[in-house]
Parts: sequence; C-alpha cells; structure tokens
Amino acid sequence: MKIGLEMHFQLPTRSKLFCPCPTAPAEPNHNICPVCLGYPGSRPSLNRKALEIGLGIAQFLDCRIEERVWFSRKTYFYPDLPKNFQITQYETPLGTDGRFELNGRSIGIWRVHLEEDPGRIRRVGRPGEEIAFVDYNRSGIPLVEIVTAPDLTSPEEARTFIDQLVIELRALCGLEAQDEQTVRVDANISVGEERVEVKNVQGLRNLERALRFEAGRQYKLIAAGKRVVRETRRFDEERKVTTSAREKETEEDYGYIGEPDLGEFRTGNMLRALDLKETPLARARRLVASYGIAEVTAKQLVLTSSRLTDLFEELCHHVPAERAVAWTTGPISGNWSTLQDQAIWPELVQIVKADAEGHINDIEAKRRILALAGVRQEEASGTEDDLSKLISDYIDAHPEVLADYRRNPKAANTVIGHAMKESRGRHSSKEVVEEVKRQMERRA
Amino acid sequence: MDRETIAKVAKVARLALTDEEMERYAQDLDAILNSFAVLDEAPASDTYALNPVPVVDVLREDEPAQEIDPQLLRGQMGTYEDYVRGPRLS
Amino acid sequence: MSAPSTYALIQYAQRRHLAFTETVDGLDEGRFHFSAKDNLCALGFQARAGSAVLEGYRPPFDATPIHRLKAAGGQLVGKTTMDEFGFGSFSTNSAHGVPLNPFDPDRSCGGSSGGAGAAACLIPGHIALGVSTGGSISGPASFCGVVGLTPTYGRVSRYGLIDYGNSLDKVGLLSRSAASIAQHFGTIAGPDPKDPTSCAQPPLAGKGRMPSSLALPREAMENLDPAVRKAFQGALPVLRGMGVAVEEVSMPSLRFALPAYYVLATSEASTNLARYCGMRFGRREEEFNQHFNDFFTGVRSEGFGDEAKRRILLGTFCRMVGFRSRYYLKSLAVRQMLIGEYRRVFQEHDAVLTPTMPFLPPRFEDIRRMTPLEMYLADFLTIPPNLVGMPHVSVPCGYVDGLPVGMQVVADHWKEMDLLELAKGWEGAFLYTFPEVRP
Repeated sequence: MKIGLEMHFQLPTRSKLFCPCPTAPAEPNHNICPVCLGYPGSRPSLNRKALEIGLGIAQFLDCRIEERVWFSRKTYFYPDLPKNFQITQYETPLGTDGRFELNGRSIGIWRVHLEEDPGRIRRVGRPGEEIAFVDYNRSGIPLVEIVTAPDLTSPEEARTFIDQLVIELRALCGLEAQDEQTVRVDANISVGEERVEVKNVQGLRNLERALRFEAGRQYKLIAAGKRVVRETRRFDEERKVTTSAREKETEEDYGYIGEPDLGEFRTGNMLRALDLKETPLARARRLVASYGIAEVTAKQLVLTSSRLTDLFEELCHHVPAERAVAWTTGPISGNWSTLQDQAIWPELVQIVKADAEGHINDIEAKRRILALAGVRQEEASGTEDDLSKLISDYIDAHPEVLADYRRNPKAANTVIGHAMKESRGRHSSKEVVEEVKRQMERRA
Repeated sequence: MDRETIAKVAKVARLALTDEEMERYAQDLDAILNSFAVLDEAPASDTYALNPVPVVDVLREDEPAQEIDPQLLRGQMGTYEDYVRGPRLS
Repeated sequence: MSAPSTYALIQYAQRRHLAFTETVDGLDEGRFHFSAKDNLCALGFQARAGSAVLEGYRPPFDATPIHRLKAAGGQLVGKTTMDEFGFGSFSTNSAHGVPLNPFDPDRSCGGSSGGAGAAACLIPGHIALGVSTGGSISGPASFCGVVGLTPTYGRVSRYGLIDYGNSLDKVGLLSRSAASIAQHFGTIAGPDPKDPTSCAQPPLAGKGRMPSSLALPREAMENLDPAVRKAFQGALPVLRGMGVAVEEVSMPSLRFALPAYYVLATSEASTNLARYCGMRFGRREEEFNQHFNDFFTGVRSEGFGDEAKRRILLGTFCRMVGFRSRYYLKSLAVRQMLIGEYRRVFQEHDAVLTPTMPFLPPRFEDIRRMTPLEMYLADFLTIPPNLVGMPHVSVPCGYVDGLPVGMQVVADHWKEMDLLELAKGWEGAFLYTFPEVRP
C-alpha cells in the first residue's frame, strides 16, 4: 500500500499572512480588513515571521531551498475565497526534496510551501440546498503545506507520521496544541496500480478512518476483479465512508501566474540568521546513538522535558549512561519541580557521581537527592497511595476525559499533567504515567 | 481558436456567452493570437521576474493591527448574525 | 469678459465633455484642486472604474496618492471617466459616460484615462491623477493636448488603485504644464508600506538633469499617419535648437512588446476580475438560491462589458495549462529582454523619443469600425515603456487641423525628474494651444 500526504498546518503568528489582522479567535467577521476581504485596491504584504517559520520547517525537513522564491495566484471560484484566487507558492516552494525520519525509515518530503487560508463556510439550510454563510476571520491565516512522497505504507503509519511530525514542529516553531484535531489533510492512497485522492480530511482520527475505509474499498474492488478508478473522493465524517467528488469540482484549471504585488524574496540571509532548535525526536535519536540508551527511554526523556534531558546529558559526562537513565527517570524526575533549578545541578551531579564510583550506596544517594529537593524521607515513603488517589479522584471528577480516552489515548495527557502538577514532583514522570495508564485502562 | 476552446475558456472564467458572442470572441481572439505568434520568434530564456523593477524582501513585522473598523466592513457586506451570506453550495 | 471660475469649468467639463463621473458640490478656496481617475478609491465617492459591476461601491479608504494630495492641501473635486477597468485606448468602453475630446467633441479623448485628459485640458491649473497600464496616461495626454507623466513602476503607491495588471499599473499625473506636474509629483511619489512594490525605490532626485541626447528608434516611425509624422518631425529642429541631440537608432525587439504586454496585462487582469462574482460586488441576494457556479456566472456575464469579457477570455486562455509557457512565461522573459534593449540604448543616449500616438484623435464613428486587434495595435508606441516599467512623459509637439499631436520621451527607471526637466525646457521653446472654453 502506498500513501502520500498533503498536510496543512496553521502557523503560530499573531497576524495574518498578508495583512495585519489578528489571528486570535474572534466572533465571525471581526478579524477582517480590505486585504483579507479582497477589496480591489488593497494589497498583500508578507508577514516576516511566517516566512521565517516556513523556511525553518523546510530546513528542518532537510529540503533543498532555492535562493529566490515568490508567490503565485491559484485561481478558482468558491464562495469562501474572497478574491477567487488563493495566494500560494507554485514554481518556487520554500523547500523541495526533503525527508523526515519515521521510526528509522526515511519518508520523502516533496515540497513545503506557504499559502493563505480561505474563509470558513457554515452550511445553512435544508440538506442539498444549503447556502453559504461565510466567516472571513480565517481568510488569510498563514498555512504551511507539507507534501510527502507516497512512502507511507498503512493508515496507522500515516497517522504516526503526522503525530511525530507535529511533536517536532511544535518544538521547532510552536505550532498550536490542537494540531492533531485541526490538521487538514489530502491523502493519495493506492493499494494496487491506480491511486485515489481523498480530499479535505480534518484531524488525525478522521484521516486514519478515511484511509482505512478507502484501502478496504480498493482491496474489495480488486478482489472482485474490478478496476479502481483514478479520482478524487471526499470523506464523509458522519457516515465514515469516502464518496466520489463530483466531476465538476475536479476539472478546475488553476491558471497559475505570479503574484506581482509581493515581489520576491531571497532566502539565503534569512536562513543563515535562523537558529533552529533541536527537536525532541531528533534529539532522542541522537541520545540513542551517542549514549546507547534504549529508544523508548530516549523518547520518554525528551517528551517529558527538554531541561530534564539537558540534565541527563550533563550526567552522562560523568557517569555511565545507564546510571544517568536510572537517576533522571527515577528520583530526579520525581522531584523535578525543585530539582530543575540549574543552580543545584552541580551538587546533583556530585551525588550521582559519588554513587557511580561506589563512594556511597544507592540508598544514601537517594536520601541526599531528596534532601537536596527538600523532601523529608517520611514524606517520600508511602506516597504510592496518594498518587493513586489523586488520579482516581481526578478521573471521577472529569468523566469526559475517559470518554475522550476511548477515542484517543492521548487524552490521558490531561490526567498526567494534573497529577504531575498536584503531586508537586513527589513522583517521577514514569511513575505517574504508569499509574495513569493503569487506571485509565482499567476503567476504559 | 475554435468554439470548443472558447467555450472551455468561458467556463473556466465563469462567463456565459451567447452563440453570437461565442462566434465573435472566437474570431477576435483568433486574430489577436495569430498576431501574438511573433512571440515564438523571441529568444527563449529561463530568466524572468514578476516585476519590471526589482522588488526584493519587502516584509511586514508580525504585529496585529486593524486600521478600519470591522463593523463598517460588515455593514457593507450585508451580514446576517455577523456572517456573510452567499449562494447555494450544492 | 472675466475668466470663468474653476467650478464653472469643472461643471462644463462634466456636462459637455463627460470628463467626470461625479464632482463635488463646491470648491474649497485656498486649496488646490485635483481629480482622480475613477479606478482610484476615495472616501466620499463611488469607485466604479468604468464598470457596471462596481455600481454603488463606496470604498472605506483613500488611495495613497489621493491621501497624500489631500494632506498636501489639495481638494479632490471629482472622479474622471475611463474605459472599464482601463480596458481601452479611447475611453469608449465606459459604463459611466464616454468623454468627448476638448478640441472636437466628435473625437475621442484617448484612453483609458480619457476623462483625466479632458479635465486637465479644460481646467487651467488642474491636476488630474491618471493611471497607465499600457499607455493610458500618454494616450489621453496626446489626444487632449496636455502633459502626461507616467512614473516608473513602483514609484507611486498603488494602494487604493483598482487593479488592471499589477506588474504594469502606474499612477501618474496629467496637467496643462510640466511645471505643475513637477510641483505635485514629489507629493505622490515615495514608499508606502501598504504597497510593497513601492518600497523598492531609490529617493526621488530633487532636481532632474536635462537630457542632452535622445534616441529615435526607426521602428517607431513605421505605420504612422503622415500628418502625425510631419508634425512630429517638425518638433525635431525645435529640440535641436534647445541643444538636445536626436539620433536615429534601431530597437528591433520592440516588435515583441505589444503581444507580451497584452499577454501579461490580460493574464493578470483575468485574475484580478475573478473577485467580481456577486459575493461582495454585484451582490444579488435574491438569487442566492442558485448554485454558486451559476450565480457567479450570471453576475459576471451581466456585470462586465464587451471588452472586459474579451480580455478576461484572452487572459484566462494565456495562463491555462498547455498555453501558459508559450504565452505567459514567454512574455515575462520578453519583458526582461526588452529592459535589456532599452538599457543598451541608454548607454549612448539619455532617453528614447517617439511620437505618442500613431494617428490624430479619431472620430467615434471611425472607432466603431475598428476591430479589437486594430485597437490593440494603436498602442504600439506607448506599450513598450509601460511594459518595461520605465517612466515617460508625453507633451504636445504640434497641431494638425486644430488637433494636437504628442511626443513621448522615455527614460531609464527612476529618472522621472530628468523627463520633467526636459518637458519644462520644451515648454519654453514650444507654445501649447488650448481650446477656448465658454461655459
């Protein structure tokens, strides 16, 4: 099976891509101006931050980046598109020919480009006769479009791909927290010769469902000796099936031309000035390679906290990696709220070092670490029950979390966050995660 | 330019043409495009720019602002419950 | 008999020559008076750009050139008539009145800034904001016997200009004298963050350098009305008398300019006009029960005039899959090549000189007999500098049977002040004639 994805993420800017309208949530048609309404005589001007973020993403994805880039007009008629053309990038995307490491495999990235979002349509009226109610707040919101090669091999892998990409992009440029729900995806999928495009799927869960349905549909056709027709299909969220899009919508000739109002942009200087952070999963790969620790441990570290991972790396300079793992994921992460203070790290390092060199034993080392964190031994003991109660109380009070969890195990993060906060670092993240999972699984 | 082409162009451009218009525009565009054939004699080149003068790296800082009151703009668009109504979608 | 008041002249220009679509009710004394072509947005006026599809549109902002002239003490006295969206050379493609030539009301003012040309001619001291995409300032200046300055692309902000072709449109000025244009040009020029293409300009020179050597391309002397050729040639000794050398040169690539211009202009125009579909402009709420494709098609088919439809069709075709590289991309490359050709000439000469229009202001009855292609070809002298975005000025250089003939001087990018220096010098050596007006 071959799956290629075309993903659209909203960039975390304060103002829109081509006008200074705010991007913050607002009542319908409150974040509007002549530019994003397409008034004749208004002109676009490019948001520097959006270009910087876009270039950062292209570079992170190891793309080839042209020195000269410009924007183009993609012309098509739809009630949500104020100018009836969308300003996007055609000949010169920000990046081409890149890749993303997915669990040891390289997934090709065909292109990365910036474009403006159209307005949002509310359908009002009897089914089949709905008219458009348009909210232009979304018109001009900056989007980055990322297109992959058809390198993904299953719906699950497609979902994992976006999941991991979002983790990385969030750390890289602060994508919004809701991206798993809001990401808009067009997917190409073929189980045999002919590929089908499933357009306009919103959210990861829908994507996986749409792809599963579509793969099943194609397998059945082939098994019955029928041909898969190359076409565009839409995912019906209600019925959870894909349906053929009407021919009319697919025969548009976009007639791309350059957008002269923006001029062009040189990427070299901006790229050199970019300071790309190391992203969590890339860091995890480096930890595995440099320190020989298990991949699952490395991921747990980087996804818990980048500062904790800093401390881990600091410890690795002084003690064997397995000792550093044991202490950071154990008592240190358990008391992270106080131990994250960098001023006490040298002392922490000395304790762990003394333990590793056999000057003190593990019990003494733990006592000293807890003392450093200001936790008395008595308090520290017998807290298992506290944790368990803290978690079960929270779940009792928030039944919706459990409902969410059944659809998406990520919902457990809310509970984990709560427990970490409330236990004020008395428990390691590992302990909290395990306890939350245990309880959620039992109840779900 | 034949009628089939002009009909396709008109459809892409969302223009409904009468038979008379179809005939006339096909004839006009045919004459015009024939005279444009001289372009084929111009030397080919990959170097092109979108503007006749260089316009490079003109950027706006990411500062939200709204110069015109959106309420005035909503008023001009005949909104209903703040939404702009449009035609049927299907 | 005392001279008629400016207000009476404005009323006369509106009523008798259809120069204005709308005018103010009275003049503010103590302010200077200017008009704006109807494709420039201004508070307090409709901005319809000669099109029925923009009927009733009242923009919520002033175009930057208008804003700047107001701030400098000017009063906007009216909006001038024009070809729909600038699509024309005779201002006959107008939904709001066809302006009549001040020298002969049976003849055209030129286009597309025809109303601006007429207003500049009929009202002494008047400053008219015009817009040129392919010759829409030079043409009317020539036919109306006034001075028309088309600045370098990007010199004057296009914020508030209803677009025709974004890589070609330029806001400029028409008036009876180069001196009054020079007086106001500095006001409207300069960078404006609301139009990024205006932010790439070097500062405007305080005073220009008088060009001393003009190149006359022999290609420009072909296909001229003999009367125009004669009047133009009569101007050459006057120039030489001013100490300006005129030498014949060859610019063979000029023949590519006209097709490249029409391809780029209509390609861009057909996207700019996509927005006029009934959602915001030409809104017909009673027809929302139609499918959007039918609704859009209905509004557009009724709202646009004949020439607008022709240019939409041409432009849509030129950028369609299969034709795009032959027409659109090739034309972008041709433009770069032509810039190179002008630059080669500018190594030896300060500016390029040609007649402005190949014939005298035509009679409306003759215009009606012209084919669209013949009309397009009428702009063969004004299109080249417009395509390459170079500044040019048209000044009256002779009169035939009481009708003005214009000549056009083109300089390299950003050298408007040199052109104005030459135009001012010209006014000292050649006497302009204006029709007698009795309101």
